[in-house]
Amino acid sequence: MVALLDGTAHPDARAAFFAAASDDLAATALSAVDMSVRIGSLTLNAPVMPASGCFGPDLGALIPVGELGATVTKTVFGSARGGNPVHRLTEVPAGMVNSVGIPSHGPAGYLATLHPRYAALDAPTIISVGGHRIGEYAPVVAALGEHGAAYELNVSCPNLDRDGTDIGSDPAAIREVVAAVRLVTGKPLIVKLPVLVASIAACALAAEEAGADAVCVANSIPAMPLDAQTRRPILGNVIGGLSGPSIKPIVLRLVWLASRAVQIPVIACGGIETVDDALDYFSVGASAVQVGTASFGRPFAAVEIVRGLRRRSLDAGVGSIRELLDLDAPR
Amino acid sequence: MSIDAPVVTPTAATLRARAAVAQARAFAEADERALDGLVSVRPRSAVPRPQPVWDDAEVLVHEPVGERYRRLVLASNTIAATAQAGQFLMITVPPHGGDTILLPRPMAIHRRRPATTDHPGTVELIYGVVGRGTRALAAVPVGGTLQVTGPLGRGFGFPPGTRSALLIGRGVGVCGVMGAAEDAAAAGIRTTMVLSGQHPDQLLGRSDCAELGVQVIGATDDDGSSDLTFLATRLRGHFDGTTPERTPPGVIMVCGAGVLARLAAELGAHWGVPVQASLEAHMACGLGYCHGCAAPVRTDPSVEGPLVCADGPVFDAAIPVV
Repeated sequence: MVALLDGTAHPDARAAFFAAASDDLAATALSAVDMSVRIGSLTLNAPVMPASGCFGPDLGALIPVGELGATVTKTVFGSARGGNPVHRLTEVPAGMVNSVGIPSHGPAGYLATLHPRYAALDAPTIISVGGHRIGEYAPVVAALGEHGAAYELNVSCPNLDRDGTDIGSDPAAIREVVAAVRLVTGKPLIVKLPVLVASIAACALAAEEAGADAVCVANSIPAMPLDAQTRRPILGNVIGGLSGPSIKPIVLRLVWLASRAVQIPVIACGGIETVDDALDYFSVGASAVQVGTASFGRPFAAVEIVRGLRRRSLDAGVGSIRELLDLDAPR
Repeated sequence: MSIDAPVVTPTAATLRARAAVAQARAFAEADERALDGLVSVRPRSAVPRPQPVWDDAEVLVHEPVGERYRRLVLASNTIAATAQAGQFLMITVPPHGGDTILLPRPMAIHRRRPATTDHPGTVELIYGVVGRGTRALAAVPVGGTLQVTGPLGRGFGFPPGTRSALLIGRGVGVCGVMGAAEDAAAAGIRTTMVLSGQHPDQLLGRSDCAELGVQVIGATDDDGSSDLTFLATRLRGHFDGTTPERTPPGVIMVCGAGVLARLAAELGAHWGVPVQASLEAHMACGLGYCHGCAAPVRTDPSVEGPLVCADGPVFDAAIPVV
């Protein structure tokens, strides 16, 4: 029956979800399980955050953002851009293909319009920064200055002007981008790597050696959906990036390979919908996860994962996710 | 098949299917062209910012409407109490038969019925079963729950002092404007609604219009009465100003086809009245942050055009001044 008719205190499920936060976050639970993760000088209270492009400050009204480790902004580019033509996304079995084209107001526009709304949320803001040339990243980070709690360098959004190849597939280019950005900021740097690379280990290592504090593995996979009836491209831009549960096994492999190659934390991003998806990634070496496509249908998905990790740890009588994984380790 | 394989004559069925696809494609392209230069974002001051929630709404009614559509009545006190005319919901479709639907589906709120002492507040939606998502949605039983987010978007608003209105809906687009008919009925605004569709038995909204005291003008493809030129002539005649009942409407609101939005804008220019048009788009978030639902509006490449979800779905529509 409808909860409303039963006279429950909450007018809707959202209100009940917020209320559950205060119950669940009761001091005992919060202190009993340490879910914090360090990205350079930044400590996140939980190892879960949204994926860039899959979060907006509007969600502050729908979910208790303070339970997330951080928020991550849509990628900010150096100059204003309008994004791609209409028909920007479509659903395919077990996935979504998007070619939004990352509309951006540029750093000044971001700081004037969006950033105050991110800053008002109860979680550190990781600002995603993009560029289509190696030299484009550092000026954007410099312009954003102290406003980002950390910066995520998006070297992996498919450069659709060049058939989906990107800066992030070239370890030498990654090295140059990170080194240049390192010169203009002391904030933690995360490098978000693409899927289509010859060696994810070499790319992650290049980021680490150039001064990155973490790598994020990975991004959507270049794809091309056709209309089944017309056999014409569905997307206005013809090609886009595939995300969602279908890419999880592909990204699991990449996270496993990257984790073996570097000492810095690996943040996993690819088809994470549930606490078990997150644990899968933690078990192959990830230190944190990003939730993207799942949030569209279930805006609370990332918060549910945080709560699920804490609940599983409490139920198992352990104080950290690492201990939780040890319990599950093959005998 | 090798390139020198014998030529195969297509069957009649194949030819029919191809013709239908070609016709649908031509219609979709014409519809998108019709919106070119037509719509602009309504002034922020005219439209309240949406205050969405999400809810696990019980399915109270889920039944076929004619051959093509299904009616869905959901219990949600908060959404029923706060939804404005022309707003929409994002419906998260549960897994069905091994198929998982990832993205929620945007649907216009057809009717709102706030809670009473005896009944929960409800919203009514009508949708066509057209693909994987709506097929899975159709399987949700009465008594089950659906996770919904809303009310979303910026809806219709009657200009102050409006005394009469013309609403135009085609297909499920009728649902986009029915909320305005509810508001009009409550405010004593005399309302006429064009219900357009392929066949007479597919016209949605007749009973709603009867309940709300809305005069109906039916327009179908079957008898040619939905033809744009024919419909324009008929509406100009209907509102020719010869009697008080035939005074042109003070506002036109339209949903369901780009070509109808253009027709409405032409009528609005003719009568000198404002026009509001509700657009549809594929969406992922419904809140504006995914930027997936760009409206078909041409802009400077460095400036993003309006988003259907956050800047619409209701836009001002006017024939561009050349």
